[in-house]
Amino acid sequence: MAPLVEPSAGFKFDNVKRNQLLGDKGYKLPTATKTGTTIVGLIFKDGLVLGADTRATAGPIVADKNCEKIHYLAPNMYCCGAGTAADTEFTTNMISSQLALHSLNTGREPRVVTAMTMLKQHLFKYHGHIGAALVLGGYDSTGPHLFTVYPHGSTDKLPYVTMGSGSLAAMSVFESRWRPGMSRDEGVEMVKEAIEAGIFNDLGSGSNVDVCVITKGNVEYLRNYARPNERVEKEQSYRFRKGVTEFYAPRAARRGQDSAEMDTSA
Amino acid sequence: MMDYASMQFAPTEVPVEHHSHGGWEPYVDNGGTSLAIAGKDFVIVAADARQSDGYSINSRYDPKAFVLSNQTVIATTGYAADAKRLVEVMEQNAQTYFHKHDRAMGTTAMAQLMSNTLYYKRFFPYYVFPILAGLDKEGNGAVFSYDPVGNMERVVYLACGSASALVQPFLDNQVGGANQRGHEGGFLDRATARKIAIDAFTSATERDIHTGDWLDLFTIDRTGIHREKRELKHD
Amino acid sequence: MASLRPGEANLGTTIMAVEFDGGVVVGADSRTTTGAYIANRVTDKLTKVHDLIYCCRSGSAADTQAIADVVKYHLELYAAQHNEPPTVKVAASLFQEICYQNKNNLSAGIIVAGWDARDGASVYEIPLGGSIHRQTFAIGGSGSTYIYGYCDKVFRDGMTKEQCVEFVKNSVSLAMTRDGSSGGVVRLAVITKDNVERIFVPGDMLPEQYLG
Repeated sequence: MAPLVEPSAGFKFDNVKRNQLLGDKGYKLPTATKTGTTIVGLIFKDGLVLGADTRATAGPIVADKNCEKIHYLAPNMYCCGAGTAADTEFTTNMISSQLALHSLNTGREPRVVTAMTMLKQHLFKYHGHIGAALVLGGYDSTGPHLFTVYPHGSTDKLPYVTMGSGSLAAMSVFESRWRPGMSRDEGVEMVKEAIEAGIFNDLGSGSNVDVCVITKGNVEYLRNYARPNERVEKEQSYRFRKGVTEFYAPRAARRGQDSAEMDTSA
Repeated sequence: MMDYASMQFAPTEVPVEHHSHGGWEPYVDNGGTSLAIAGKDFVIVAADARQSDGYSINSRYDPKAFVLSNQTVIATTGYAADAKRLVEVMEQNAQTYFHKHDRAMGTTAMAQLMSNTLYYKRFFPYYVFPILAGLDKEGNGAVFSYDPVGNMERVVYLACGSASALVQPFLDNQVGGANQRGHEGGFLDRATARKIAIDAFTSATERDIHTGDWLDLFTIDRTGIHREKRELKHD
Repeated sequence: MASLRPGEANLGTTIMAVEFDGGVVVGADSRTTTGAYIANRVTDKLTKVHDLIYCCRSGSAADTQAIADVVKYHLELYAAQHNEPPTVKVAASLFQEICYQNKNNLSAGIIVAGWDARDGASVYEIPLGGSIHRQTFAIGGSGSTYIYGYCDKVFRDGMTKEQCVEFVKNSVSLAMTRDGSSGGVVRLAVITKDNVERIFVPGDMLPEQYLG
């Protein structure tokens, strides 16, 4: 039996059995918006650069042409999200709030490993059902840190990382060109190229390049740093002439007519 | 800390991971979109040239519309290998016909031939959604729609392929006049039909991930077949 | 036992540990895969759980990392409460308990090795079902199947530290070339009474061997 009192926090699993039954009968679950994405990060001389494309898809359809995939975690930390859009959004929001409370309690700037540990423990608890694949980057008292976090809760610490459906295209850029001790501008340029490799070669990624540069005590969030896919102009105008739409008048105004003409140009 | 007690409620049976490569399947959807619009004395055929598999692009320019005679064009979508074979068979038969009768096969005859060719493989179909377009005996624009097993219908305009659900309603409205009160009806003029075809593809490219890269556009009239190649977005 | 779930990072691995008089040598390859893709080519599968106790992880990356974190926490607490470092046996037993109690939800094959004042050097193997086996040397992971014969032939009782390092380096390298799920570099750790020495062997400086 379902509890009479709603739980004060956490996920509700009331519908799991019902949905399983419906699934067995052949009903399909609604598809969540996926960010079939390219997200990347790299370490350079003075900090790190995060990058993301801006396409969100629902199956083969582009759901959002300019979405934001670089999420705020803390003043010194950002996190790129791939996978189920809702999961990346809610997971990063929740960890962000916990980090804010944590740094209020400790009176210190939060560390990147703290965020990484909170994320991996949260995701591990849900056995991969929370489909968040993340690139976590930040600069704390111990320097710059870059992590990948997988939906099942495993983490990797590396100097350059990629994730999402475009990760192979992006990684080909890093594996051939990344080197230690690059300048800020070299780092930003390489992140742009890696994201563009995903945008043009992976159908799950597209539109624009978002970049975030994190250095000691400073964050530059460069929204739409590159826009290599501007929409072309149409060959002709598709403005409809006035009164083109068929409609039915409200009952009171109908006066015995099934459809009536009315001026809709106002 | 990990809550190990909660693990007891997790699903106990999970699928095994397999390597993505190695498995062979007889059919693949290679995406792409094609359309045709008939006019009074012309017909326009357009098809993008991207060939994809899942999230990968196999080719940015692999044409899927082909000239069969000086008054007929075939545009395909679906499984590219089957489409290639179907076009080969159609070309062979058209050639044989030409040598037997000393004249090119007409568009309507070609349309029936395509239906027969598709139905011949009723129980291992060509996984193709073809459009055949050209000028009929009277010189009018003609568009023929098919399903993969040969069901045929003559229509005025048609969209097929991965973005057909986006393009067909646009054509219904702009060419067929659906939901436009006071629409005059009748055939479109050539310039407008061409603009609509181009705009359909720039729009489909915006929202369908399998459509894009290049557009092949054919205009068929009594002077012959005129081909244009236009660039679409590559993302 | 739980199998690997789709998209899960896998340590399709070669791991190894050998006792010698006064310490242990642990070694591992560095490949982490998701399907056919190498998600990390320089992974460190040798995880410290206490000053002189390491574990070698194989199976699901998520599961083994989580288990190692839990054990690490318990050992830290143990050391504080008992005012002495935990033995390798205690560490191995913790791993074993977690692996056994949650065997239906975990895919983890772990080797625990280290040095303590009571038993000296010791190596424990905890395979998939959650059993525990003390051994003088242990191999594990998908790559280990390729080197059972080699290891049984080459291993001798009473090898020196240097001989053990060579033994592990050679064995892991051989497994890496035959097992597609293992590769990259060889990582080693030599744990003795006094300290832990980490050794890194790059992929292009592996011991010479027949490569076909």
